[in-house]
Amino acid sequence: MLKNITIGQYFPGNSFVHRLDPRTKLLLTVALIVAVFLCDGFLGFVAVFAYVLLAARMSKIKPRFLIRGLKPVAYIVLITFLLNIFFQSEGEPLFSWKFITVTDMGLKRAAFLAVRLVLLITASQLLTLTTSAISLTDGMESLMRPLTRFRFPAHEIAMMMSIALRFIPTLMEEADKIMKAQMARGADFESGNLFKRAKAMVPLLVPLFVSAFRRADELAMAMEARCYHGGEGRTRMRQLRYGKNDLYAGLSLLGLIAVIVLFNALGVF
Amino acid sequence: MSIEIRKLTHIYMPGTPFEARALDGVSLTIRDGEFVGVIGHTGSGKSTLIAHLNALIRPEPGHVIVGGVDVGEKGQSLIEIRREVGLVFQYPEYQLFEETVEKDVGFGPRNLGLDEETVKTRVREALLQVGMGPEILDKSPFELSGGQKRRVAIAGVLAMKPGTLVLDEPVAGLDPAGREELLKLIQGIHESGVTVVMVTHSMDDAARLCNRLVVLNHGRVAFDAPPGEVFRHEEELRDMGLDVPECVKLVKALRARGMHIEEGLYRMEDVRAAIEREVGKC
Amino acid sequence: MADAIIRAEDVEFRYEGAQEDAVSGVSLQVERGEFVAVLGRNGSGKSTLAKLLNALNIPQKGEIWIDGIAAHEEKNSLEVRKKCGMVFQNPDNQIVATVVEEDCAFGLENLGVPPGEIRRRVDEALAAVGMGEYAEAAPHMLSGGQKQRVAVAGVLAMRPEIIVFDESTAMLDPSGRREVFGVAQELNRRDGITIVWITHFMDEALRAGRVLVMDAGKIALEGAPRDVFEKTEEIRRMGLDVPPMAQLAAQLRLDGVPLRAGIMTVEEMAVELCRLKSAN
Repeated sequence: MLKNITIGQYFPGNSFVHRLDPRTKLLLTVALIVAVFLCDGFLGFVAVFAYVLLAARMSKIKPRFLIRGLKPVAYIVLITFLLNIFFQSEGEPLFSWKFITVTDMGLKRAAFLAVRLVLLITASQLLTLTTSAISLTDGMESLMRPLTRFRFPAHEIAMMMSIALRFIPTLMEEADKIMKAQMARGADFESGNLFKRAKAMVPLLVPLFVSAFRRADELAMAMEARCYHGGEGRTRMRQLRYGKNDLYAGLSLLGLIAVIVLFNALGVF
Repeated sequence: MSIEIRKLTHIYMPGTPFEARALDGVSLTIRDGEFVGVIGHTGSGKSTLIAHLNALIRPEPGHVIVGGVDVGEKGQSLIEIRREVGLVFQYPEYQLFEETVEKDVGFGPRNLGLDEETVKTRVREALLQVGMGPEILDKSPFELSGGQKRRVAIAGVLAMKPGTLVLDEPVAGLDPAGREELLKLIQGIHESGVTVVMVTHSMDDAARLCNRLVVLNHGRVAFDAPPGEVFRHEEELRDMGLDVPECVKLVKALRARGMHIEEGLYRMEDVRAAIEREVGKC
Repeated sequence: MADAIIRAEDVEFRYEGAQEDAVSGVSLQVERGEFVAVLGRNGSGKSTLAKLLNALNIPQKGEIWIDGIAAHEEKNSLEVRKKCGMVFQNPDNQIVATVVEEDCAFGLENLGVPPGEIRRRVDEALAAVGMGEYAEAAPHMLSGGQKQRVAVAGVLAMRPEIIVFDESTAMLDPSGRREVFGVAQELNRRDGITIVWITHFMDEALRAGRVLVMDAGKIALEGAPRDVFEKTEEIRRMGLDVPPMAQLAAQLRLDGVPLRAGIMTVEEMAVELCRLKSAN
């Protein structure tokens, strides 16, 4: 049953990482990305890697979930790795065969990029695995709030995200129902070439869109009936509050960045 | 063509925490010309059962045999089974998608590979069966009223000329007049020789139209008998979250007060005649 | 009337681009604490009327007063909606949040109620509809009846004087219908909340204090359920049903059985028939 799909990939828990304020986690993730790009030596990467590994351990998320998340991007990592090896002509040639030359610089760059990608993905995975969708949107709204002064629609964006999350399972279920109904009328969604299959989607997509619009209409009415009038003067039941742990987490990441900067300054490879 | 269901079991999402037994060893036969009511609480397995009749779910384990053909057999042409057993889902109007009623009703027959001439006649015939004339053909299905949309959607299934028509709560959400109209049409379709299986929550509708009731409870067949028989088990039905028609309750109340009314009456006309015999006209 | 919480006078409403009025010349009064059922076929104007009561529709003509506030003036709409909550037909299309308690808080958040107060009222409201233990559940995992109860809680948390149910049981199975109707009855009896209950189901209307029947944008019949359903012919002409026992009583009377007026339930029918029999 499509009903049981989980939204995003939140993995409920009560670990140190789970309990952090979503804003902290969002900021930490951004900072970690910055740290990854600051690194220009392997020792720096080892530091970041150790940090991510420690965070993963503290989140009590099983490593296989993190590895599973890497699978879909494994090809991208591989391709970038290969491209960088073969299309880098600077540096000392290490190996040469016909028109292909592998240089030490190329190898280094390729490895850096691959490691960067893996670290980026793992870090953002840690965020989504330990933070529920609703906390994420709350956190984003709160972080974006200062931007409203520049007419940035922070509340609207957060509201849109949360409504989208709310309706994904409903629409998935509906898609399943419509598909079955059309199959009962002899529709064939599985055979034929690409063009034929795309065309076969029309009987599914048209009713799905019609229904999504109808739902949007009714939802808007229901929201209005409950006194919704935009973000102005709105309060929230759940209050985000920074705690001691958030301070520790923040300081630890600052420490990490300091270490990287130090490594860079010393020119440690 | 009769439909035979043998020891059908269906487990949703086996091996996950969401595992649920929707059907549990269901056996029953739907014979030609019957009007079978399928009744049960939400989650009793009704929808799963009817999805099997139309080969939308593969019987595993168990068998569904439509006109002698085992639906679960490998390499079986599903389209022939889906033509023979027409399935109308709940709120079928949500499946409409074409620009015109004619095209939409023609979707099924066209999928059967029929030529345009035949499709054209089939569409007109099917619309007539749901009480709609040719003036509706060029309209967009989206500009019709709720009740009309539903009839067009049902026509879309009828146009495939099924031997058996399966309807999942066909009158849900309609107003009383719309309900009455649609029930009459379904009765007409049955009288024209189509076997009808109707899933319903309304005992009153079931009592009025069906000549056999199948009551499902927790994925098992609790009762399978003519309505009069089934309604004798008022207590058990109530435990399953189901009710009996008001007339059945009245018969019971009158008998308890010592009046001579035969047991097992459930149609309003019959009850009325029995009361008149007993109380007498003054 | 002494304490009319809803007062509408000669209200007219027409949707943009429509040829006819959806509601025309409707006047009505509902007293504080009443349970009023509104019946009528599709397109009779009952939903339009419901939306006039909480300023989702603003009438082109006439006045509507909700607990002393002019609901016919657009500027009052927030005030009106605070007083008069609404539960809609489709349970899926009125739940905003991904967590039950968050959804329940939605209205209060819109009103700018302080967080602590929201928490208290949300817990209270969820408990009042028997959904306390589902506070952290995801709405899409609930049954139809449960979803509607969450919707009721969301309205209830705003502490309205009136709740309008616009065919809120139409898409539910019998047990879901009982759940939601039961909740409405309890809110009416226990907390004195005025209920306007729009429905197609006669058994629900039978249990209301008063019934209004709408036809072609007007109030066609009005009165105690017993008196209204006595008019079998008229009701059927308006595309509606009467309760089975009222229908049976009408037929028996036609056949010459001298039943008393106002028979609606099995019990009443049985008692009356026994009386007739022993009189013979």
